[in-house]
Amino acid sequence: MRFWTSALRYTKTDMLAADNISGGARIVDRRQWARKVHILSAIFLALTAVISLASGPTGTSLWSALIKIVTEEPLSTLELIVLRDIRLPRLILGIMVGAALAVSGVVMQGLFRNPLADPGLVGVGAGAGLGAIFAIVLGGLVPLWIGNLIGNALIPIAAFCGGWLSTIILYRVSTRRGRTSVATMLLAGIALGALAGAVSGILVYMADDQQLRDLTFWGLGSLAGATWSKVMIAGPLIALAIIGSLFLRRGLNGLALGEATASHLGIPVQRLKSGSILIVAAATGAAVAVSGGIGFIGIVVPHLLRLATGPDHETLLVNAALLGATLLLGADIISRMIIAPAELPIGIVTAVLGAPVFLWILLRRRGLVDM
Amino acid sequence: MIKAQSIAVKIGGKPILHGVNFQAKAGEVTVVVGPNGSGKTTLLRAITDEVAWNGHIQINDRDIHDYKSWELAAVRGVLPQTATLAFPFTVIEVVRMGLLSGIHSTTDTLAEQALARVGLAGYALRFFQELSGGEQQRAHLARVLCQVWEPVVDGVPRWLLLDEPVASLDIGHQLLIMDCLQNFAARGGGVIAVMHDLNLTAMIADAVTIISGGQAIASGAVEDVFTDQSLSTAYHCQLRSNTLPPKHSAFILPQTASLA
Ligand SMILES: Nc1ncnc2c1ncn2[C@@H]1O[C@H](COP(=O)(O)OP(=O)(O)O)[C@@H](O)[C@H]1O
Ligand SMILES: [Mg+2]
Repeated sequence: MRFWTSALRYTKTDMLAADNISGGARIVDRRQWARKVHILSAIFLALTAVISLASGPTGTSLWSALIKIVTEEPLSTLELIVLRDIRLPRLILGIMVGAALAVSGVVMQGLFRNPLADPGLVGVGAGAGLGAIFAIVLGGLVPLWIGNLIGNALIPIAAFCGGWLSTIILYRVSTRRGRTSVATMLLAGIALGALAGAVSGILVYMADDQQLRDLTFWGLGSLAGATWSKVMIAGPLIALAIIGSLFLRRGLNGLALGEATASHLGIPVQRLKSGSILIVAAATGAAVAVSGGIGFIGIVVPHLLRLATGPDHETLLVNAALLGATLLLGADIISRMIIAPAELPIGIVTAVLGAPVFLWILLRRRGLVDM
Repeated sequence: MIKAQSIAVKIGGKPILHGVNFQAKAGEVTVVVGPNGSGKTTLLRAITDEVAWNGHIQINDRDIHDYKSWELAAVRGVLPQTATLAFPFTVIEVVRMGLLSGIHSTTDTLAEQALARVGLAGYALRFFQELSGGEQQRAHLARVLCQVWEPVVDGVPRWLLLDEPVASLDIGHQLLIMDCLQNFAARGGGVIAVMHDLNLTAMIADAVTIISGGQAIASGAVEDVFTDQSLSTAYHCQLRSNTLPPKHSAFILPQTASLA
């Protein structure tokens, strides 16, 4: 309860700050409030994680399993398989993918200095997907020694390369002297997406039956195929990207003032930009490789957080990771419940929830900003 | 001391500056004047290394290429002619960005002090994008002041490089900012400001340089530089320089054909 009352008080103070100017009132720091949101989001994430572990079509009960663990009674084989091999990796993969999508959204929006830049919308996801399809269909052509070296990681690495290339192309096309044209960015994203789609189509033609099954499954955009090996493959890439993004937090703040001013403030702008592109590619690539195309997390989460706690990247990145993970787990739970025992692809759930928010952002911006 | 020798700048193959010599001393306010498009901003952007330039530039007797980017951030703050802001930051958050380079010992109240200095005390929690043009300009100036808050550190002067800092301010705030700049120089720092108001310049400048057609056509003390001839040549119109009795400060009167 106290959290909520203080939350309300803080937002109110922010909004009323204009009326508050003569009072010499104590300066309320949005950063302090955002740090409280860290805790709040972490609690939410933990709760959602428990619900996610507890829910599923088999009727296996998390509680009875927990009681058994506490009383040191052995678990049944079914409980062991369902909880340890199905729900737990799915939970962890969901947390990783949700955090990766939200963080790559924040970093990309900071890089492009624009709240509409989302890897899924502007073709980076499609590029990463193309990389993954390349790996699935043409993976057999990779020399054996390389195959042995990277093993299962071929698909995520290919997705990373695809995402990296498309981010670079997108940035080159839509940014002139540090200013991004929203229109060019969105149109270039459409072009990139169309190109990736066309090439993917050709590759699908060339695929054999087994590969087609892999592709269909992957293309649905779902956490249903979660395994421990996927967690082990995507985990390091996503962890690196999220930790790396924390090193960019001050730079991304400065970049909001434009490239020239950022460099006057002592920020190494070139390094900041290439670092951001690598992080977006790694996070998006890894997420796409293990879960297909899940949209809108990268745009909705940062936007809501900017409204609630401000655009300061010092706190935005961590909050986005936590809230992104929570939101994706929530969407996953819905996707499992709504037509149980069958499952809806999670991409459909995030689109139904996210697309209206995206339209709302567009409406709010309309007329304020020249595209 | 900031020293720029034979600075030549070409943009897109077109020569903009033709071997400009310019210098500014710490402890002084140095003003750059000149007509629109004469190259004032370009000169400032050469000194801040934003455009490709030929020649020699030294800051505090050290070649500009020998500085790392954070070292430059530690000795000079830059106010561009126009600045943009993405995302809804509050005023205080923007001002605190001046502290990003992290070279300050006590930063707690610096941003608030800087805001008060430019007459924006109480604006801390307003959204930057909702301020008026002049208020935004002063908030940016507060950010730059924050960056080089102490005019001298370990005996080394720091610099304010300002492109038209008072362009959209009312007269009261123009004087407030001028006072701020003079105060910074009086305490040992250096100020280079591009200005359009010749009378304001005459009032506060310790040294002035006229840029015209990509060249420095005159530089030195105000009374030496602001002659009828140099001003009229630079601005392509009739200007007459006079002095007011009390403190002998110069003032410039335009002479239109109809008034003559
Ligand atoms: N990026 C650019 N591209 C082409 N021409 C430029 C550019 N920047 C400045 N110029 C030209 O250089 C000249 C000097 O510009 P500037 O230094 O901005 O003038 P001012 O003295 O008004 O600040 C102008 O003629 C302007 O058109
Ligand atoms: Mg100019």
